[in-house]
Amino acid sequence: MDGPDVGWYLIVAAILFGIGALGVMMRRSPLIVLLSLELMLNAANLTLIAFARQQGDLGGQIFALAVMAVAAAEVAIGLGLIVAMARRHMLLDVDQASALRG
Amino acid sequence: MVASAWVCLFSPLVGALTITLAGTRISRKTAAWISTLTTFIAFGGALVAFIGLSAEGHGDREIVSTAYTWLESGDFQVELQILLDTLSSTMMLIVSGVGGLIVWYSMGYMEGDDEERRYFAYMSLFVFSMLLLVQAGNFLLLLVGWGLVGLASYLLIGFWHHKPEAVAAAKKAFVMNAIGDATMALAIVLMIWTASGQTGFLEVFALVEGGDSEISNSTPITLIALGLLGGAVAKSAQIPLHTWLPDAMEGPTPVSALIHAATMVTAGVYLLVRASPIFEAAPDVQRLAAILGAITLLVAGVIALVQWDIKRVIAYSTMSQIGYMFLAAGIGAYGFAIFHLLTHAFFKALLFMSAGVVIHHLADEQDIRRMGGLRSLMPRTHLAFLVGSLALVGIPIFSGFWSKDGVLASSLALGGEFGWTLYVAGLVGALLTGLYTFRLYFTVFHGEPSDLVKELAHNGHGEGPQSMLLPVGVLSVLATIGGLVVIPGVWEPFIHWIDETAESVPHPTVAQDYATSAIAVFLGLVGFLLARRAFVSGRQLVTRPGIWRVLEHKLYFDELYDALFFRPAGAVSVALRRNVEEPVVERSLDGIGAGTIQLGGEVARVQSGLLRTYAIAIAFAVAVLVVVFVAAR
Repeated sequence: MDGPDVGWYLIVAAILFGIGALGVMMRRSPLIVLLSLELMLNAANLTLIAFARQQGDLGGQIFALAVMAVAAAEVAIGLGLIVAMARRHMLLDVDQASALRG
Repeated sequence: MVASAWVCLFSPLVGALTITLAGTRISRKTAAWISTLTTFIAFGGALVAFIGLSAEGHGDREIVSTAYTWLESGDFQVELQILLDTLSSTMMLIVSGVGGLIVWYSMGYMEGDDEERRYFAYMSLFVFSMLLLVQAGNFLLLLVGWGLVGLASYLLIGFWHHKPEAVAAAKKAFVMNAIGDATMALAIVLMIWTASGQTGFLEVFALVEGGDSEISNSTPITLIALGLLGGAVAKSAQIPLHTWLPDAMEGPTPVSALIHAATMVTAGVYLLVRASPIFEAAPDVQRLAAILGAITLLVAGVIALVQWDIKRVIAYSTMSQIGYMFLAAGIGAYGFAIFHLLTHAFFKALLFMSAGVVIHHLADEQDIRRMGGLRSLMPRTHLAFLVGSLALVGIPIFSGFWSKDGVLASSLALGGEFGWTLYVAGLVGALLTGLYTFRLYFTVFHGEPSDLVKELAHNGHGEGPQSMLLPVGVLSVLATIGGLVVIPGVWEPFIHWIDETAESVPHPTVAQDYATSAIAVFLGLVGFLLARRAFVSGRQLVTRPGIWRVLEHKLYFDELYDALFFRPAGAVSVALRRNVEEPVVERSLDGIGAGTIQLGGEVARVQSGLLRTYAIAIAFAVAVLVVVFVAAR
C-alpha cells in the first residue's frame, strides 16, 4: 500500500465536507449553495475511495462513480431551477424564495 | 315413510323458491297454483307418513331420520334431523292439510292484488317453516323453525306495506315474538350446557328422566322450562305477551286464518306437549302454564265481547281457545290439548275464512256495525259461519264439543283446589264463548241489511269465487265431524295415539266427561240465548260504560307496556343523548378534531420556507444521530 495513511484522506474529506456544509448553511446565492453541495458530495466520494483503497475493494470506487452520476443529475436540475428563477427576474437569493412556508 | 316425511317438509320450500326465482316470468295464477299444489303435495307426504307410522307396531312409532350433520364442534353435534312420531305426524297433517286449504282459498281472496306472487312465496315459506317446527328432531332445529315462522308471520302481517297500521302490527308481532325467541334460545343454551351437549329430543328427555345428569337438577330444569314456556307464551299470544295477535289482523284474512288461527299460534301448545318430560320435571312451571292459559281464556273472552272488528273478535276468541289448550297441556292432558288444537284448526280457520268471504264481498269492510242481514244474501257463507260458531261454542256433534269438554273434564279429574279453579275458569270461558260468538253471528248475519250491505248486494259476483267457497265447504264438513275421533268411553283412538308420545296424566271418568259436557253445553246455550236477547232488544252485552271503556282498551295492556317499557326506554335514550352523547361523545370527538387542527397549526410554523434553516436542521439532526450512535456503542 503506497501513499499516506487513510487517516489523512479522511481529514481532508472532513474539512471539505465542513466547508461545503457551512457554505450550504450560510450563503444566500443559490449558485454558491449548489457549489457547496458539490463539495460535500465530493468529500463523501473522497472518503469512499480512500476506504476502497484501504480495503482493496472496488465496491467503494464503483459507488463513487454512482455518486458522481447523481451529482451530475442534481447539478443539471439545480442549474435549471436557477436559470428558471433568473428568467422570471426573481432575486437570486434562497431566503427570498420562501413561498412554501407553512 | 321417512322419505315421504322429507318430501312433506321440503315441498313447500321448493314452491317458495320456484315462485321467488321465477319472478315475473310466471303468471300470478301459476304462482298461486304452485303454492297450492306444493302444499297439497306436503299433505300427501304427511298422509303417507301417517299411514306408514300407524302400520308400525305399538312402541315402534318413533323414527329419527338424519340428513346430515349440521354443526360439529368437539363433542357437540347438531344434525339436520326429523323426528317422526305420533305427535309430529298429527301436527304435519294439520299444518299441511289446513294450510293447503287456506292457500287454495287465498287464490280467490288475493285475486287482483298487485303482488300476488310475493304473497304466495311468503305463504309457502310459512308452511315450510311451520313443518320444520313440528318435524324438527332436536331443539336447535326447532328453534330454527320457530324463528322462521316468526319471520314469515312478520312478512305476511305487513304484506300490505302501504298501510301504516299493517307495518306497525308486523313490527309489534315481531318484537313480541322476539322476546319469546330470546327466552327460548337461552333455555336451549342452558340445556346444551347441562345435558352434555345433547340437543336431540329423545336424548335430552332420556337424560331428564334418567335423573343422574346435571340437567335433572331442579334449578336448571326449572329455568329451562321457564325459558321454553316464555317462547310458547309469546308464539301462542298468551298473557302477558298477547298484545300482538289482535293487531296482526291487519294482514290479509287468509293469513289470519293460516297463521293466527290454525297453525302458528298453536306452536306454543305443540312445544308444551313436545317438551312434556321437561315440564313434568318442573311441575311449578307446568302449573304456571295452566294458570296463564286460564287467565288468558277469561280475559280474551271478556275483551271479545266489545270489539267491533269482525276479525278482532275471532282473534280474541283464538287467544281464548289457545288458553284452553295451555290449560290442558299445563295439567298434563296432552291428548286433549292436541285434540282441541286439531278441532280448533278446523273451526277457527273456517270462521276466519267465512269472515274473509264476508269482508271480500263487502269491499274490505271489517266493522260489524256496518254489516247486518247478510243471511239471505249469502246463504252458504252464513251456513259455514254458523257451523264454525256452533263448533266454537261446543254444541254437541260439532267438533269443538268433544275437545273442549275433554279439556274441562281433565281438569275436573285432576281435582283438588287447583283443578277445580281451572275447571270453573273453563266453564266461565264456555259461557263467554257463547256470548261473544253469537253476538258476532247475530250482528253480522241477522237483522236488517245495513246501508253498505244494500249498496253492495247487487254487484253481481255472487258470494265469491269457487276457489274460496270450496275450501270453506271442506272445512265446514271437517268442523262438523272432525271431533268424532274421540267419543268418551266409546272410541278414543286420537287420545291413545297422542299418548304414545306424551302420556296424559289425568284420566277423566266417563261420568265426569258427560257431566261436564252437560254443564258446558248448558252454559254455551245460556250464552247463545243472552246474546240473542241482547241482539233482539238492540242492547249490547256490556251495558256499563265504565266497564265498556276498560274492555275497549283491552284492559289497558298496550298502555301499560307503553308506560312500563316504551316510555322509560325512550326517556333513558333521551337522557343518554342529553347527558352522554352530547357532552361526552360529541364533545370529545369535536375536541379531537379541534386539537388536531391546532397542533397542525403549531407544527406548520416550523416549515418556514427558508432553505438554509432546513439545511441547518438536517445537519443538526445528523450530528445528534452521530453522537447517539457513537455513545450507544
